[in-house]
Amino acid sequence: MAAAPTSASTSRRGQGLRVTLALVLIAVLLGYGGCEVYRRLAPPSSPPVVTVAGLIGSEKQSFFDDPDVVAALARNGLAVTVSPAGSREIATRDLAPYGFVFPSSSPAAERIQRDRGVVTAYAPFSSPMAVATFPDIATALAGAGAVRPGADGRQVVDVRVLLDLARQGTRWDRLPGNTAYPARKTVLLNTTDPAYSNSAAMYLALASFVANGDAVPDAAAATRVLPDMCRLFADQGYRPRTTAVLFNDYLTTGRGVAPMALVYEAEFEQARRVPTSGLTDQNVLLYPAPTVYSRHTLVPLTPDGDRLGRLLDTDPELAELAARHGFRPTRPGPAAAAFPPGPNAAEVVDVPSYETLEQMLAAVERGCR
Amino acid sequence: MRRALLVVVAGLLLAACGTATGPPPLTLRVLAGSELADMAPVLDEAAEATGVRLELQYTGTLEGADTVAAGRADGTTDALWFSSNRYLETIPAARDRVDTATRIMGSPVVLGVRAERARELGWDRAPVTWSQVAEAASTGRFAFGMTDPSSSNSGFSALVAVAAALDGSGRVLDPAAVDRVTGPLAAFFAGQRLTSGSSGWLTDAYVRRATGGDGGPPLDGVVTYEASILELNRSGRLPEPLTLVVPSDGVVSAEYPLTLLRSASPEARAGLARLTEHLRRPEVQQRIVETTARRAGVPGVAPPPEAARTTLVELPFPTDKATLDALLTTYLDRVRRPARTVYVLDVSGSMQGTRIDGLRTALIGLTGSDPSLTNQFRRFRSREDVVFVPFSDAPGAPEPFSVDPADPQPSRDAIATRVRALAAGGNTAVYGSLEAAYRYLDQAAAADPDRLTTVVLLSDGESNRGPRLPEFRAFLAGRPPSTRGVPVFPILFGEAARGEMEQLAAATGGRTFAASDPQALDAVFREIRGYQ
Repeated sequence: MAAAPTSASTSRRGQGLRVTLALVLIAVLLGYGGCEVYRRLAPPSSPPVVTVAGLIGSEKQSFFDDPDVVAALARNGLAVTVSPAGSREIATRDLAPYGFVFPSSSPAAERIQRDRGVVTAYAPFSSPMAVATFPDIATALAGAGAVRPGADGRQVVDVRVLLDLARQGTRWDRLPGNTAYPARKTVLLNTTDPAYSNSAAMYLALASFVANGDAVPDAAAATRVLPDMCRLFADQGYRPRTTAVLFNDYLTTGRGVAPMALVYEAEFEQARRVPTSGLTDQNVLLYPAPTVYSRHTLVPLTPDGDRLGRLLDTDPELAELAARHGFRPTRPGPAAAAFPPGPNAAEVVDVPSYETLEQMLAAVERGCR
Repeated sequence: MRRALLVVVAGLLLAACGTATGPPPLTLRVLAGSELADMAPVLDEAAEATGVRLELQYTGTLEGADTVAAGRADGTTDALWFSSNRYLETIPAARDRVDTATRIMGSPVVLGVRAERARELGWDRAPVTWSQVAEAASTGRFAFGMTDPSSSNSGFSALVAVAAALDGSGRVLDPAAVDRVTGPLAAFFAGQRLTSGSSGWLTDAYVRRATGGDGGPPLDGVVTYEASILELNRSGRLPEPLTLVVPSDGVVSAEYPLTLLRSASPEARAGLARLTEHLRRPEVQQRIVETTARRAGVPGVAPPPEAARTTLVELPFPTDKATLDALLTTYLDRVRRPARTVYVLDVSGSMQGTRIDGLRTALIGLTGSDPSLTNQFRRFRSREDVVFVPFSDAPGAPEPFSVDPADPQPSRDAIATRVRALAAGGNTAVYGSLEAAYRYLDQAAAADPDRLTTVVLLSDGESNRGPRLPEFRAFLAGRPPSTRGVPVFPILFGEAARGEMEQLAAATGGRTFAASDPQALDAVFREIRGYQ
């Protein structure tokens, strides 16, 4: 620390005054510049950081909140702040405050790209749609053939049987042999609100494929299958706006609210890796047959947003961290190899075009009445 | 020593560097359900930890949705915190104004049945369905209290659950289904003997009746939040504990989503995110469960130890306003026990001018002239008897009006015509006029006993004619059982004798409402509708 001033020829009183003045001076100097000096000396040096804000699908919130992700981005000069929103809702929002948007699927990204005239997009990771359920619920569904062995022997949820059950308005308590969950409500997969959320749109994508005789529907087919699609959504009643809320309901309230919930595989995989997530051996994940991959797609709106997109797409460390949150990296590498086998390739289908999907979503949103 | 001082000064300044980076304290304005008052200790601790304080402004779920839909919340409010956003989400203008909603906690709407009656009915042992409850209610074996579904979310949730369960199709309700279940719903609500504008007053009234206080004979139970029932049992105020009964065919639960408004500032947005993150921490969730008897909003935190252990099957909640409006109208106009609503109105000289104008406006507002979102549920209902007892030097003769279920609007128009003719002059005979109202009710109850009967008293000054409060109390003690339990709801207005009005409310099992000025009478008269 600073040395005390010395003088041989001053009185004790004068000396005291001078010392006080010096202390005040040092204090003032510290006040002005001290913090800056302290900041420069204290942490290891890093490049200047720019802040970029984004509107994202809620299922990626925990990825961006992860301190290791925050640190990895900071090392690359980025501080990212995110707000969660339903992936379809993003397209309708005022995007002026944001440097990027990061919806959960390619059709949602495509819509924003068209609306805003953006040509670039990055799809660094994807996640198949999956059904979070419970062992006894799976057993009850198996009694009606709605859960059966898939192409590779693993159990799958048969979407065709779900469509039939919905058509007949079959209640849980009428499923043959079901004593575990005798609820007097229609057997339906729990989804989010299709008006807001991408995961509900993905359900529409895979269910319309089945209702259309195992073919991706075009505009005419979309109109034809609409009554079936409406049943799947309308009779659920109130649905949450985001998949994060639905998955939270599934984990918190359980089978009473969401006996089987359509979620991103990533949400379940991430919960599996966090000891405090609430996930137990009473939670099981099945793939629907067929299923679709939701490709999380970043659309940059500013140069900084573009930097983030490029970084997520190419940085192996960030790919590793995304995998920790359950997202399957698009590029091959150790992070991608560490995943358990996904849905059987024979049971993965394509998503309808953006226009066809929007056409069905708009009708379902109108309430189908 | 000086060197040491310098070290201390420098240390303090560097410590200041650290805290300078923390976010500044922030107060967020929140429209909230009144039952959240019990969160005060948790929210105080949260404000301490996060610097974010919530200023809760209490209002009903429907009124809140109305405020948001009309854009009146934008700029004056940062967030919403009601027991549920489900009604709000059916109104496009409201749903477009809200942003992220994060569930903080939950509580299902279930039955609390006094232990002995639960044993008699066998409800303490085997699963019970809403149909079985309806059967007991319609045969006089289960008399219960429930909040008004158009005023309070617990009653609204119960109404949806009962209707969905009695429909039994397993599908979400639609207007045709509502029409189909009208008969079974009427059987269920034949057992409702007490209504309330808030879940807090409902449990208070239940306790008063259970302990032999005034406000009517004891009830067999309440339909309300599981948390309210557990808190009642914990409070030690009940002579007989309530047995929790969770209908096996399903419930509707409150989920308390803390909801950001889109119009909120970036600071408010960040502040609410900080607070939400804090409230969802396991240790804070644990504290919420212990303090409020609600269930946690995150996985892995155990429910209150006395909470129901069975699976809570959540019934599908309608997503269109037409169905919910049909359900509320069916309840109010066709299904619930009809009301007998008495207004004892001071028209003495001091009421002249803005005061009597305010009174007229408030009453005319209940005659169906205002088509706004919530007012359609506040108007005088089909089958309702409305009785005016205007008074000054002496009570006027009671003037009864009946709202004709076959053609209700002309009846309401007749009420409006009478109200417009109210004129002020003379002295203030409060208690003599109340006695006149009760004497009228003795006769009316003898002729037609099956009504939910209440008295509203509006006076702007102290009684200066006729009997006094002690004499009125003696009069009250001499009433027959049919009218002794009729509650009086005094409005604190003008120079009304506040202390006496509180005593009057307590003596009759009512409660007071405050109207700060003549313009406030409108909102107060609408609020009281939940208790009538």
